[in-house]
This record gives sequence, C-alpha cells and structure tokens, in this order.
Amino acid sequence: MTDTLVSCTALSKRYGNKPALQGVNLELGRGRIVGLLGPNGSGKTTLIKILVGLLQPTEGAVLVDGQNIGPYTKSVISYLPDRMYFADWMKATDLFDLFADFYQDFDRTRAMSMCASLGVTPSDKLKTMSKGTKEKVQLVLVMARKAQLYLLDEPIAGVDPAARDFILNTILTNYNEEGTVLISTHLISDIEKVLDEAIFLKEGRITLHDTVDNIREREGKSVDALFREIFRANNIEGGAF
Amino acid sequence: MFGKLLKYDFRSMFKQFAFIWPAALVLALVNHFTINSFVTSTSEVRGTTAGISMMIYVAILMAMFITALVFAIQRFYKGLLGDEGYLMHTLPVKPWQLIGSKLLCAVITTFLSVIVAVVSVFIIMPWEREDFQQLFYGLRYLFSHWDSDMTNALLALLESLLMMLVSFATGFLQLYLAMSIGHLLNKNRVAFSVVAFIAINAVMTTLLSIIGPRMEHILNNIVGNWDSIASYHATIWVVIAGELVVSAVYFAGTEFILRKRLNLE
Repeated sequence: MTDTLVSCTALSKRYGNKPALQGVNLELGRGRIVGLLGPNGSGKTTLIKILVGLLQPTEGAVLVDGQNIGPYTKSVISYLPDRMYFADWMKATDLFDLFADFYQDFDRTRAMSMCASLGVTPSDKLKTMSKGTKEKVQLVLVMARKAQLYLLDEPIAGVDPAARDFILNTILTNYNEEGTVLISTHLISDIEKVLDEAIFLKEGRITLHDTVDNIREREGKSVDALFREIFRANNIEGGAF
Repeated sequence: MFGKLLKYDFRSMFKQFAFIWPAALVLALVNHFTINSFVTSTSEVRGTTAGISMMIYVAILMAMFITALVFAIQRFYKGLLGDEGYLMHTLPVKPWQLIGSKLLCAVITTFLSVIVAVVSVFIIMPWEREDFQQLFYGLRYLFSHWDSDMTNALLALLESLLMMLVSFATGFLQLYLAMSIGHLLNKNRVAFSVVAFIAINAVMTTLLSIIGPRMEHILNNIVGNWDSIASYHATIWVVIAGELVVSAVYFAGTEFILRKRLNLE
C-alpha cells in the first residue's frame, strides 16, 4: 500500500474539439476529505468520471492505489454519481444484495441502520419512493462501503439547506477513516468546515491545491471567500462587461 | 463475477416473463378444448369461441416474441448505455463480462420463448390419454432399434438447434454494436443506432455476396464427393462457424466502444 492514493499525470480530456481537462497533475493521499471546487463546466464531473472509469482520458495517466483504472480500482472506489442509476422495479434491499455480491467492503448491517436513521424503508419499491428518498438510498449504498476512495459528485446540489447538513453528517459519520473522500461542489460555504484540502478547478485546469488551513493562513480569508473572488474575477475576464 | 452478473440479468428477465410464458401455455390449453369442441359440433357459438380464443393465443405468442426482442434491446440500451450504466460500469467487472451476461440472457430468453411456442402447439393439438401411451411405445421402439440413420437424425436436430442459438446471438450482437455506435453521438442516439444497424446490414450483405459464392465453391470442392448426409453436416458447421466469426467481430466492436469510448450522458 503506497501513501499516494490517487495520482494523475498530465491528464487531458477533450470532447471533440472542446477541452474539458487540460494537463491536470494531481496527487491525493489517504485519510483526507478533499473538496473539488469549481463552477459548472469547470471539469469536476469529467475528472471524477475518469477516476471511476466511466470516461477514458484523451492523454495522460491515472493511477488509483497504484493501479490502472480497472476492476481492482473499481472495487476500492465508492462512487456517488450526479444522477439516479437504478432500475425502478428493484427494492432498496435488492440493491443491498447486489452491492453485497459485488463489493466485499459493503456492510449490509450498516446500510440497514443508516436507512433507519435516514427514515428510509428499504423494503419499499424504488418506484414508489420520492426523489429525495431515492437520493438517500443511493447515499446509503455509497457510504455503507469501507472504500479506499469515495467520489461524491455534487452530493448536496439538489437539496435544501437542512438536508445538506443531514447528508454531510451521514458522510462524515460513515466514511472509512483510512480512505479519502473527494467531494465535488460549487456550494463551498456548506462544506468548507469539513474539508482538509481544497482543489480549485477552472476551465479544466487545477489553479490551486492545498490544505484548507494553509489557504486560510496564506490568504487571510476563508476558502469560500477566496473562491468567490477568483471566480468573480473570471467572469470579468470572460467579458461580462 | 460473471455468474453474479448473470444472476441479476436473469432475475430481471424472469420478472418480465413470469406472466407471458405461463399465459401462452394456459391459452394453448384453452384452445385445445375450444378447438376440439368446435370440431366435434356445428354450433355457431362454439365456433366463435374457438375463433376468439385462437386469436388471443396467436396475439400472445406474437407479444411474447416482441417482448423477447424488446427485452434484449432494452436491457442493453438502458442497462449499459443509459443511467443504469453508471452503476453497471462502476462494478468491479470487465466490459466483456457485462456484454456477455446481457447476451447470454437474451439468447436464453428467446430460446425459452421458442420452446414455449413449440410446447404450446403440442398442447393445442388434439390428443387423448392413449396418445401418450402410443408415443411412449414409439420412443421405446426407436431406442431399441437405434441405427446410424437415427444418430444422424438426432445429430442434425442438435446441429439445427445450435445454429438457431448462434444466429440469435449474431442478431443480438448486431443490435448491440449498432446501439453502441449510436451512443457515440451526443444527440439523436436512437436514430443513429437505427442508421448504424442498417449500415451494418448493408456491409454484411455486400460481404456475403462477395465471399459467399467463393466459400460455396471451396466447400463444393471438398464435400462434393461425400455422401449427402455428410455434406449436410459439413454445410451446417460451416454456416455455424461463419456466424461465430461475424459474432466475434460484433462482440469485439461493442467491447471496444464500451471499454474505450464509453459516452454516458
């Protein structure tokens, strides 16, 4: 087991002629909570999809736990996509069966107790559940694993502020502390207090990657304030006036 | 892992067919009685009843095969190229296992539907209890007087079944490849999948018209002086081999796209 959990070298991704990621170099250690921060369209989802194996990079190399992306890395990554991914005819318990079958690190007992604390009835059909409840089921699936790397793509984007705390709390009380959590979001103020590190992504490039403490000390302001400053400036550069 | 994938694919298949397979068999049994009562009488009511129940039976058989086709398409398109793909492609399995599991499930679904159709026809036919006895004696006679003709007939039957299974697989793999090509586009994916399907068809027809006669020529040179039974077996195996080669090409193309060019929305 190496200290480096994620390593991206000169990573680029283009959709046709449109660049989504450009020359990204990134190293992430273990046992960290990392914010992947950037406005919409800055490449957050693309980076996460490459790490999880849903997209192939145009150039560059990616290693997770020292391995190329494949069945092994997928077995140590727990991924929360930005959409619903299950077949409607299933029950939450069917999905627990599926996860228990495919992921050795899935803890069914913990999933059931998380359902209880989130107010989800796992024997209900997914078809009959509200959108919010389905999102909770998906969160339970992802957090009931003792994964090396959690990739959470906009976990709090679609919910009201009260539910945000609820979701963050679920993440914080359930993640594997030897593993690393990468949370992508543009709602920084809500998650700043839980982050160890922050990555700023702007137009497909990493403009900043440091510990939150260092950022605050060096800049004399919160990560949220710095983010607003940088990306407001971006708007002016982009010719808003 | 492949076995686990199959388990979930078969589970969703049985959900889909849990009603339609038994329904086809029950309707066949109903027809067995309505037709017999129609044949043995001149009553108009019985005639109408027999006609209606036959229509329902035929409709459900058609529905069964359409369902099998739609099921095969949908399980691939929604399961691997739609939102469910976010789950399936992040499982710790290889792309070929995902495709293989869908394919095996689709082929077996279609094959079971064929079996249900064949059995239902036997159910409809007029039979009495004595017929089963006759059948039993007949089979016993066959087994006790087994000869090389029987072996050949049985072999030919098994070869035809194998050919049917392989051609199902080729058909489904062509659909899979067409859908995979269609999903490379960011818009109009379904339309482009249809275009891709037609294009593959055109290419295959052209290839076959070029290669086919030559293959036939070569085959004739080899089996020309064999007896007719041996050349029949040889021809079937050549067709099976040809279908397998085409299947392998479709499979490899689909696997390449899912592995290297996956483009989920």
